[in-house]
Amino acid sequence: MKWILWIGGGLIGVIALACVVLLVLGHRANAGHASASADINASPAQVWQWLDDPGKLKQWISWVVEVRTPNGPVAAGVGAKRVLVMKDENNGGMLMEVEGVYTAYQPPTEMDLAMSTPGAFEGTETYRLTDLRNGRTHFEVAGQFRYTMWMAQLFEPLITPAAQKKMDGDVSRLKSLVEGGASAAR
Amino acid sequence: MKPPLLAQALLMAVAGPCEAEYVAGDLEEEFAIVREARGRAAARRWYAWQVARSAGALLQLRVRSGELTHVVLIASLGVAVPLLLLDWLWQFVYSQIPLKDGLHRAPEFLVFNALCVCACAAVLGAWAAWKWPASKWPGSKSRALALAFAAAIAVLVALWAGAASAPAAYVVTLALAVPASALLTFALRKSR
Repeated sequence: MKWILWIGGGLIGVIALACVVLLVLGHRANAGHASASADINASPAQVWQWLDDPGKLKQWISWVVEVRTPNGPVAAGVGAKRVLVMKDENNGGMLMEVEGVYTAYQPPTEMDLAMSTPGAFEGTETYRLTDLRNGRTHFEVAGQFRYTMWMAQLFEPLITPAAQKKMDGDVSRLKSLVEGGASAAR
Repeated sequence: MKPPLLAQALLMAVAGPCEAEYVAGDLEEEFAIVREARGRAAARRWYAWQVARSAGALLQLRVRSGELTHVVLIASLGVAVPLLLLDWLWQFVYSQIPLKDGLHRAPEFLVFNALCVCACAAVLGAWAAWKWPASKWPGSKSRALALAFAAAIAVLVALWAGAASAPAAYVVTLALAVPASALLTFALRKSR
């Protein structure tokens, strides 16, 4: 039975060490930060439609099933709300609502949103579009999130890299959709 | 010239120690006859086919005797439960992503799963060597093989039951590495 105690002790030790490592990593400077960018072969106005139109948002942000704009068909202006309804297959297919409130809205260059899901996270997401001339746009998106649940706070060093990968995938999908639409329009 | 090793291992695993000895003896005699008559490759195929077609019936006999019940239970607790717990952990991590993500897991998470489950299988192998010493259990090798096969099946069941999508390379790696880890530590502890 002695070796069972050794294994049990070793397991508890490994879990404790993992928690300490996660706690330390959770205090790094860029904790909760994810960003992605791309140069898109379309004008800023063309890219902007994909950030603003609820139907288009569903196409490039994966797992979004519905976009609600309580302040009208196209949410616009500081203070307006935009709710992304997402089907979370990692949570038994539950529908999760991510509420965004516009804190900056300047078409077609700047959009900031304060985002939150009660009991899960809160943070900000910023979109910047820079005109590169000749029908090209530099697109940047950055998110800074803080998790409200203690366990999610502990696991932040694992959640943020996964969020980064998801953001990279979404931005590359946006680029191909916008460029596909832009070339069809020419 | 010996029969195929994997088929022999499967026979040892599915048949109880007594049946395995008799069945293996009979098969080896016939294997020699078939080899003389039809050649080496045909004899190996014949042997593998005989083991495959008898495996179900032999396993049924062993399950009925109640001998395999705790082997299956231990394999399930030892490898399937940790794998499912890890799957739930990654599910939690992915459910916390602000803009939700899918069921594909990052490669580093899969590598971590594989290392943990192989470590659990290694513990199982060490436990089998301690629990069934050859001096007291003549069929200890057969039991260890049964445990390794049960662990491989338990891993496959856990992967099927888990929510995450499992790439084929990951499934094959686990299905091979888990029984190998269990057998390796069993053999190492036995050799001491």
